[in-house]
Amino acid sequence: MEGALEQHLDDTMKNPAIVGVLCTDAQGHNLGCRGSLSDEHGGVVSVLARQAASLTKDPTDSPTVCLESDSGNILVRTHGTITLAVHKMAS
Amino acid sequence: MGCCFTTDINQGDSVKPLIPDPSLDPTSGSEQNTGTLPSNHTDEEDQQKSILRRAALSIIDVSAVVSQGLEQREYMDRARQYSTKLEVLNRTLSQKNPVFLPSLTSQPHQVLAADLVTYSDLQQLSKIAAYAYSAISQIKVDAKEDVVVQFSI
Repeated sequence: MEGALEQHLDDTMKNPAIVGVLCTDAQGHNLGCRGSLSDEHGGVVSVLARQAASLTKDPTDSPTVCLESDSGNILVRTHGTITLAVHKMAS
Repeated sequence: MGCCFTTDINQGDSVKPLIPDPSLDPTSGSEQNTGTLPSNHTDEEDQQKSILRRAALSIIDVSAVVSQGLEQREYMDRARQYSTKLEVLNRTLSQKNPVFLPSLTSQPHQVLAADLVTYSDLQQLSKIAAYAYSAISQIKVDAKEDVVVQFSI
Protein backbone atom coordinates (compact mmCIF):
# COMPACT_ATOMS: atom_id res chain seq x y z
CA MET A 1 0.00 0.00 0.00
CA GLU A 2 2.81 2.38 0.86
CA GLY A 3 4.64 1.51 -2.35
CA ALA A 4 3.58 4.68 -4.11
CA LEU A 5 4.87 6.88 -1.28
CA GLU A 6 8.16 4.97 -1.01
CA GLN A 7 8.68 5.27 -4.76
CA HIS A 8 7.92 8.97 -4.62
CA LEU A 9 10.47 9.52 -1.85
CA ASP A 10 13.09 7.60 -3.84
CA ASP A 11 12.36 9.72 -6.90
CA THR A 12 12.70 12.88 -4.82
CA MET A 13 16.14 11.77 -3.58
CA LYS A 14 17.31 11.33 -7.18
CA ASN A 15 17.58 15.12 -7.33
CA PRO A 16 21.29 15.80 -6.65
CA ALA A 17 20.65 18.89 -4.55
CA ILE A 18 18.26 17.08 -2.18
CA VAL A 19 20.02 15.19 0.63
CA GLY A 20 17.05 14.40 2.84
CA VAL A 21 13.28 14.13 2.77
CA LEU A 22 10.79 13.40 5.54
CA CYS A 23 7.05 12.88 5.50
CA THR A 24 4.97 12.99 8.69
CA ASP A 25 1.33 13.12 9.63
CA ALA A 26 -0.29 15.86 11.69
CA GLN A 27 0.85 14.30 14.98
CA GLY A 28 4.50 14.00 13.92
CA HIS A 29 4.36 10.28 13.21
CA ASN A 30 6.92 9.40 10.56
CA LEU A 31 5.36 8.11 7.33
CA GLY A 32 8.58 7.89 5.34
CA CYS A 33 12.06 9.38 5.35
CA ARG A 34 15.28 9.33 3.40
CA GLY A 35 18.80 10.66 3.77
CA SER A 36 19.68 13.24 6.37
CA LEU A 37 16.16 13.51 7.79
CA SER A 38 14.99 10.66 9.98
CA ASP A 39 12.46 9.51 12.60
CA GLU A 40 13.65 11.82 15.34
CA HIS A 41 12.94 14.93 13.25
CA GLY A 42 9.29 14.08 12.72
CA GLY A 43 7.94 15.77 15.83
CA VAL A 44 9.84 19.01 15.36
CA VAL A 45 8.94 19.26 11.68
CA SER A 46 5.20 18.79 12.22
CA VAL A 47 5.08 21.24 15.12
CA LEU A 48 7.01 23.91 13.20
CA ALA A 49 4.58 23.67 10.31
CA ARG A 50 1.59 23.83 12.62
CA GLN A 51 2.88 26.86 14.49
CA ALA A 52 3.65 28.65 11.22
CA ALA A 53 0.11 27.95 10.00
CA SER A 54 -1.30 29.70 13.07
CA LEU A 55 0.40 32.94 11.98
CA THR A 56 -2.16 33.43 9.25
CA LYS A 57 -5.95 33.54 9.56
CA ASP A 58 -6.49 32.07 6.10
CA PRO A 59 -6.89 28.30 6.56
CA THR A 60 -6.12 27.56 2.91
CA ASP A 61 -2.80 29.40 3.07
CA SER A 62 -0.10 26.83 3.78
CA PRO A 63 3.18 28.58 4.65
CA THR A 64 6.61 27.18 3.92
CA VAL A 65 9.04 27.16 6.85
CA CYS A 66 12.67 27.57 5.79
CA LEU A 67 15.50 26.65 8.14
CA GLU A 68 18.63 28.15 6.62
CA SER A 69 22.06 27.02 7.71
CA ASP A 70 25.54 26.69 6.24
CA SER A 71 24.78 23.01 5.55
CA GLY A 72 21.81 23.69 3.32
CA ASN A 73 18.19 24.64 3.78
CA ILE A 74 15.38 22.58 5.23
CA LEU A 75 12.04 23.48 3.72
CA VAL A 76 8.89 22.37 5.55
CA ARG A 77 5.40 22.52 4.14
CA THR A 78 2.02 21.07 5.03
CA HIS A 79 -0.28 19.66 2.40
CA GLY A 80 -3.61 18.49 3.71
CA THR A 81 -2.98 16.11 6.58
CA ILE A 82 0.72 15.49 5.90
CA THR A 83 3.80 17.58 6.50
CA LEU A 84 6.78 17.30 4.20
CA ALA A 85 10.35 18.39 4.92
CA VAL A 86 13.06 18.56 2.28
CA HIS A 87 16.73 19.10 3.08
CA LYS A 88 18.31 20.80 0.10
CA MET A 89 21.89 21.91 -0.34
CA ALA A 90 22.49 25.35 -1.74
CA SER A 91 23.26 25.02 -5.43
CA MET B 1 -43.33 36.68 86.86
CA GLY B 2 -44.46 39.99 88.22
CA CYS B 3 -42.34 42.08 90.56
CA CYS B 4 -39.58 40.73 92.78
CA PHE B 5 -40.56 38.75 95.86
CA THR B 6 -44.16 38.46 94.79
CA THR B 7 -46.17 35.43 94.02
CA ASP B 8 -48.22 37.38 91.59
CA ILE B 9 -48.50 35.12 88.54
CA ASN B 10 -50.55 37.58 86.59
CA GLN B 11 -48.03 38.80 83.99
CA GLY B 12 -50.35 41.37 82.56
CA ASP B 13 -48.73 44.63 81.67
CA SER B 14 -45.25 43.81 82.97
CA VAL B 15 -44.17 42.05 79.76
CA LYS B 16 -46.07 44.23 77.35
CA PRO B 17 -43.54 45.93 75.04
CA LEU B 18 -43.18 49.68 75.41
CA ILE B 19 -42.93 50.26 71.64
CA PRO B 20 -45.50 48.21 69.74
CA ASP B 21 -44.06 46.08 66.92
CA PRO B 22 -45.58 47.55 63.72
CA SER B 23 -45.46 44.23 61.81
CA LEU B 24 -47.61 42.49 64.42
CA ASP B 25 -50.14 45.30 64.75
CA PRO B 26 -52.96 44.62 62.28
CA THR B 27 -54.81 47.89 62.80
CA SER B 28 -52.20 50.31 61.41
CA GLY B 29 -52.58 50.36 57.60
CA SER B 30 -50.19 52.84 56.01
CA GLU B 31 -48.02 52.83 59.11
CA GLN B 32 -47.40 49.15 58.54
CA ASN B 33 -46.07 49.74 54.99
CA THR B 34 -43.73 52.49 56.09
CA GLY B 35 -42.80 50.29 59.03
CA THR B 36 -41.45 47.49 56.81
CA LEU B 37 -39.13 49.84 54.92
CA PRO B 38 -37.22 50.96 58.02
CA SER B 39 -36.85 47.31 59.07
CA ASN B 40 -35.35 46.51 55.65
CA HIS B 41 -32.96 49.40 56.09
CA THR B 42 -31.88 48.17 59.49
CA ASP B 43 -31.36 44.70 58.05
CA GLU B 44 -29.15 46.12 55.34
CA GLU B 45 -27.34 48.25 57.86
CA ASP B 46 -26.77 45.23 60.04
CA GLN B 47 -25.44 43.29 57.07
CA GLN B 48 -23.14 46.15 56.12
CA LYS B 49 -21.91 46.43 59.68
CA SER B 50 -21.20 42.70 59.85
CA ILE B 51 -19.32 42.86 56.54
CA LEU B 52 -17.29 45.82 57.79
CA ARG B 53 -16.56 44.01 61.03
CA ARG B 54 -15.33 40.93 59.20
CA ALA B 55 -13.18 43.02 56.90
CA ALA B 56 -11.71 44.95 59.83
CA LEU B 57 -10.81 41.69 61.56
CA SER B 58 -9.00 40.35 58.51
CA ILE B 59 -7.16 43.56 57.59
CA ILE B 60 -3.48 43.70 58.46
CA ASP B 61 -2.29 47.26 58.79
CA VAL B 62 1.26 47.24 57.51
CA SER B 63 1.94 50.86 58.32
CA ALA B 64 1.26 50.23 61.96
CA VAL B 65 4.01 47.61 62.20
CA VAL B 66 7.11 49.04 63.75
CA SER B 67 10.09 47.86 61.70
CA GLN B 68 13.26 46.87 63.46
CA GLY B 69 15.91 49.08 62.01
CA LEU B 70 18.81 47.19 60.46
CA GLU B 71 22.18 48.64 60.96
CA GLN B 72 24.17 49.35 57.83
CA ARG B 73 26.82 46.85 58.86
CA GLU B 74 24.36 44.07 59.50
CA TYR B 75 22.57 44.86 56.23
CA MET B 76 25.82 44.51 54.27
CA ASP B 77 26.65 41.28 56.08
CA ARG B 78 23.30 39.77 55.22
CA ALA B 79 23.56 40.87 51.58
CA ARG B 80 26.97 39.21 51.30
CA GLN B 81 25.68 36.05 52.94
CA TYR B 82 22.72 35.78 50.55
CA SER B 83 24.81 36.42 47.45
CA THR B 84 27.30 33.68 48.38
CA LYS B 85 24.43 31.26 48.95
CA LEU B 86 22.96 32.16 45.55
CA GLU B 87 26.33 31.68 43.86
CA VAL B 88 26.63 28.18 45.29
CA LEU B 89 23.10 27.34 44.12
CA ASN B 90 23.71 28.75 40.64
CA ARG B 91 26.87 26.72 40.29
CA THR B 92 25.15 23.47 41.27
CA LEU B 93 22.19 24.20 38.96
CA SER B 94 24.35 24.94 35.93
CA GLN B 95 26.26 21.71 36.48
CA LYS B 96 23.07 19.70 36.51
CA ASN B 97 21.44 21.26 33.43
CA PRO B 98 23.67 21.50 30.39
CA VAL B 99 22.77 23.95 27.68
CA PHE B 100 20.45 22.19 25.24
CA LEU B 101 20.43 24.74 22.45
CA PRO B 102 22.80 23.60 19.72
CA SER B 103 25.05 26.09 17.99
CA LEU B 104 23.71 25.99 14.47
CA THR B 105 26.60 27.68 12.73
CA SER B 106 29.94 29.25 13.49
CA GLN B 107 29.45 31.90 10.78
CA PRO B 108 26.01 33.45 11.12
CA HIS B 109 26.81 36.38 8.85
CA GLN B 110 27.55 33.99 6.02
CA VAL B 111 24.24 32.22 6.44
CA LEU B 112 22.32 35.48 6.71
CA ALA B 113 24.04 36.96 3.67
CA ALA B 114 23.46 33.86 1.55
CA ASP B 115 20.94 33.82 -1.26
CA LEU B 116 17.30 33.53 -0.32
CA VAL B 117 15.34 30.39 -0.99
CA THR B 118 14.35 30.58 -4.65
CA TYR B 119 10.81 30.51 -5.90
CA SER B 120 11.59 27.41 -7.98
CA ASP B 121 12.64 25.63 -4.79
CA LEU B 122 9.31 26.52 -3.19
CA GLN B 123 7.40 25.34 -6.22
CA GLN B 124 9.38 22.11 -6.27
CA LEU B 125 8.58 21.60 -2.59
CA SER B 126 4.85 22.13 -3.05
CA LYS B 127 4.88 19.69 -5.97
CA ILE B 128 6.67 17.06 -3.88
CA ALA B 129 4.19 17.63 -1.06
CA ALA B 130 1.21 17.28 -3.40
CA TYR B 131 2.57 14.02 -4.87
CA ALA B 132 3.25 12.66 -1.40
CA TYR B 133 -0.28 13.50 -0.29
CA SER B 134 -1.81 11.75 -3.27
CA ALA B 135 0.46 8.72 -2.67
CA ILE B 136 -0.65 8.52 0.94
CA SER B 137 -4.31 8.81 0.04
CA GLN B 138 -3.85 5.58 -1.91
CA ILE B 139 -3.20 3.80 1.40
CA LYS B 140 -6.55 2.37 2.36
CA VAL B 141 -8.06 -0.75 3.79
CA ASP B 142 -8.87 -3.36 1.12
CA ALA B 143 -11.67 -5.55 2.49
CA LYS B 144 -11.16 -8.96 0.91
CA GLU B 145 -13.28 -11.24 3.08
CA ASP B 146 -15.65 -11.17 6.02
CA VAL B 147 -14.19 -10.53 9.42
CA VAL B 148 -16.81 -12.61 11.23
CA VAL B 149 -16.72 -16.26 10.16
CA GLN B 150 -19.17 -18.98 11.11
CA PHE B 151 -17.55 -22.13 12.49
CA SER B 152 -19.34 -25.31 11.43
CA ILE B 153 -18.94 -27.71 14.35
